[in-house]
Amino acid sequence: MSKLVRFAADILYPVVLIFGLYIVAHGHITPGGGFQGGAVIATGVALVIVAYGYREVTQWIGKGGLMAREVVGLLGFIGTALVAFIFGMPFFYNYLAGQGGLFGVPVTYGPNPGELNTGGTVPLMNFAVGIEVWGGLALVILYLLSGLVPHDDHEKEGS
Amino acid sequence: MIYEIFHILVLAGLVISASLTFWFRDLLAAVLAAGFFSFLISLEFYILQAPDVAISQAAIGAGLSTAIFIIAIRATGRYEGGAP
Amino acid sequence: MRKIVAGLILGALLITFVAMILPLEFGSPRMSDMDDYFIRYGQEQTGNNNECTAIVFDYRGFDTIGESTVLFTAVIGVGIMFRRFFGGEEVEDE
Repeated sequence: MSKLVRFAADILYPVVLIFGLYIVAHGHITPGGGFQGGAVIATGVALVIVAYGYREVTQWIGKGGLMAREVVGLLGFIGTALVAFIFGMPFFYNYLAGQGGLFGVPVTYGPNPGELNTGGTVPLMNFAVGIEVWGGLALVILYLLSGLVPHDDHEKEGS
Repeated sequence: MIYEIFHILVLAGLVISASLTFWFRDLLAAVLAAGFFSFLISLEFYILQAPDVAISQAAIGAGLSTAIFIIAIRATGRYEGGAP
Repeated sequence: MRKIVAGLILGALLITFVAMILPLEFGSPRMSDMDDYFIRYGQEQTGNNNECTAIVFDYRGFDTIGESTVLFTAVIGVGIMFRRFFGGEEVEDE
């Protein structure tokens, strides 16, 4: 792509990244959550991939990093639910809510201003699912773009 | 009053953009019309008070799905049924 | 012989399924009972102000595990389809 598109992508990518991480981190207070925030971040990664082209992007975005994000997200999500067995609780029990400590400030019924340190295990699962969706959707775009490479060797410089 | 007018405009835009998706023979224009349809339906979800569905639809439908369709058009051909 | 055994097992499973389904009355408990329970006790039990996230990640967590596994499997399938384009020669050796 042209230099103007690359400049716009350089400016927009940190903004989209911060917005997606905001949606993931505030998933238990405001509308949003892990899947939505991860999809927003993956859209930003797709913008960078489209702006710079396949050959330049694969020099600093590798298959290994995105696949590692996906696997770490899925294992973190299941592991957070499995930790409940240590406390003698059933699978998916919310063992952190209302205990004080990490993510454990009690919440009363009714409208309240909203505290970031609440929610129990839900923020941890939000981060795990967000990282997994980030890696997975960006990896789909990268895989699909890799099928184009043998065909556009002759027009790589001209376009 | 301004709320109803805006809602009717969004619904009319939904019908028009969905019809344009079938009417275009240039597949790139059809994909852009589908992306605009996805953006309008995300706005409609926000009007109907489902903001998380609106975020998901705007990211998946208007962003990633359009990119995947454009990659598929780049790999095959641009016009439906051969050259125009 | 194997077909008869397979038919018997399939029939036993079908009878068990129907016998488990039939005593349940359709539409009981009513949906509004569950809604009222979530709205009344959701904030105190899970500490979430956002009720949608509380239901998706806490009350109905198995659904989210299925969704994550489906996404993982879809990405693995796309990767297997495009493996010969991606990564060049080290993939071809396998």
